[in-house]
Amino acid sequence: MTQERQDQLADGSYEFLAIFLEGLPFIFLGTLVSGFLGTYLPRGAFAKILPKNNTLAVLISGLLGAVFPVCECAVVPVIRRLVKNGLPVSCALAYMLAAPIFNPVTAISTYKAFNNSPEIAISRLAMGYMIAVFIALIVARKTHSFFLKSSVKTENGDEHHHPRNLNAALNNSLRDLMDVGLYFCIGVVLTAILKTTVIDPTDDFWKELANNSIVGSIGMMFLAFVLSLCSTSDAFIAANFHNFKYGPKLAFMVFGPMMDAKLIFLYSTVFKWKFILFLFVAIFILTGALSILFETKILPGWMSQQTEIPLAP
Amino acid sequence: MTSLDTRLFGFLACLWGGLLIYFYHSTRIRDYLDIGFHHFIMIGGIGMLILGAYSLINPKSKSNKTEKSKSCCHDHGDHDGDQHPHDHNDCHDHGDHCHHDHEEGHGPFITIFLTLTPLILAMTYTQDKLSNGGMAKKGLYEKPALTSANLPPFTRQDLEKNVPKNEHGEFQLRMISAYYAAGDLEIQDIFEGLPVELEGRIAPEKINNASGDRLRIFRSIITCCAADLQIVGVSLEFPEEANRPQVEDWVKASGTLTFETVEDDVLPLLKIREVIPAEEPYSEFRRRQ
Repeated sequence: MTQERQDQLADGSYEFLAIFLEGLPFIFLGTLVSGFLGTYLPRGAFAKILPKNNTLAVLISGLLGAVFPVCECAVVPVIRRLVKNGLPVSCALAYMLAAPIFNPVTAISTYKAFNNSPEIAISRLAMGYMIAVFIALIVARKTHSFFLKSSVKTENGDEHHHPRNLNAALNNSLRDLMDVGLYFCIGVVLTAILKTTVIDPTDDFWKELANNSIVGSIGMMFLAFVLSLCSTSDAFIAANFHNFKYGPKLAFMVFGPMMDAKLIFLYSTVFKWKFILFLFVAIFILTGALSILFETKILPGWMSQQTEIPLAP
Repeated sequence: MTSLDTRLFGFLACLWGGLLIYFYHSTRIRDYLDIGFHHFIMIGGIGMLILGAYSLINPKSKSNKTEKSKSCCHDHGDHDGDQHPHDHNDCHDHGDHCHHDHEEGHGPFITIFLTLTPLILAMTYTQDKLSNGGMAKKGLYEKPALTSANLPPFTRQDLEKNVPKNEHGEFQLRMISAYYAAGDLEIQDIFEGLPVELEGRIAPEKINNASGDRLRIFRSIITCCAADLQIVGVSLEFPEEANRPQVEDWVKASGTLTFETVEDDVLPLLKIREVIPAEEPYSEFRRRQ
């Protein structure tokens, strides 16, 4: 094996362990919550809590990340159980997609990463919320068989005689941990391989993409997909792509928390693959379009109101 | 799940929990995660050990027994918010088994194989750090990002007030400050010609080093884990008579900070007075502020 291959193997192993070790405790926490929710939460409880109007329910669900902030890894097992317990899938999807972006931790980290600039943080949160809600409202019109895996479909009616005790809750948690942990592990392997063999963010190829906002946004979304960063830290990475304009950076920060190489495997514990493909395309198009709109229509207005610090020659 | 399945899954949960506890206890975790995440590793590890041990001891939950003895019979193909197509309270009989699988998922053997294989491989091949090529991808040889609006003004008085000096009167500047100064004309003016001391690890220099008299000093900046690692470095130029550290050494480098233009990029450069070995910190990651 050449030295380069040995280095790639060592670096890939290092990246894999870093993401796996960081994510596993949060996956565990998510599955623990999901196991107890699945056991103790009465079926149909959400019907009493959420507004009867489906659109209003989706709009509110998209905001819940501000109150119940969760990262993109932990949210999937929770959503999985909540859907089983009768949470409308459209509401679950709005929360699942928006929560990693629309939460105070991500807002503060984005604000700090972009030199205390509230405009970028607000734009990121607004864009994430709009995309999540828009997709959720589309999904609300589809039958569950279009997107949900058979094992996740809502259990209505006679409650299946499931006992509500600690034993059942822990059993549910263990089952969820194994299901989600497996797909998380596969996703992290894929991420580590791509990061060490295919993608080099410092390569001239990426720098040249920065010259065009459309190509730049597409490139940055692809990069976000591969890098699979946590939504609380990705703003710092985005801010350092100094060649890119704000539009592509926003695309990076909005697309990544909703869709990345490890998340598609986590999503596959809830959704059918054809729906994940639909989700990918929808998020890709919406994020790309909104980031270009931001770059060309909104940002120039903001920038004209600020005093630019002269850049180094 | 059968009792055997539950026991095997419990065993795997114990292994995952044990892995987290091992990384925490051996302090290897400091090479992978920001220090703020370390206690999550310990808590997560203990939690998984408890869950796994519980499942090993008590594999047959009441829910298993109940589900085996009951049959269910309904269809789940409804829309959001729609009423269920038929009444479950009057459940009609379809036989002894459920139509749908309550707990789809993969079996324990495939889960164990697909998760333990990459873990064992990664544990075997990891060096607990990135190679030089890996660090280059994280920005070791990159120029600093240019600053934009909204930065508060920074003056020489701020520098004197906030940055401590060593016994030689040199400013003990943070690496990230020296690095990003190259992207800000205002701060460049203040830092140009400044006597400073930088602490960090040594790497080979690949920029503007045809004569071979340079090395690079760097620090790793992190938010969560090594996946979001960013490496910031400053070029070190050694006079002929100066002692040179080895690559990978942890040092304090003192000298005069200046800025040079290489292929239209402004880069920080420390002209070395002396380099002394330094004690390596518990974690070499510096958290993003």
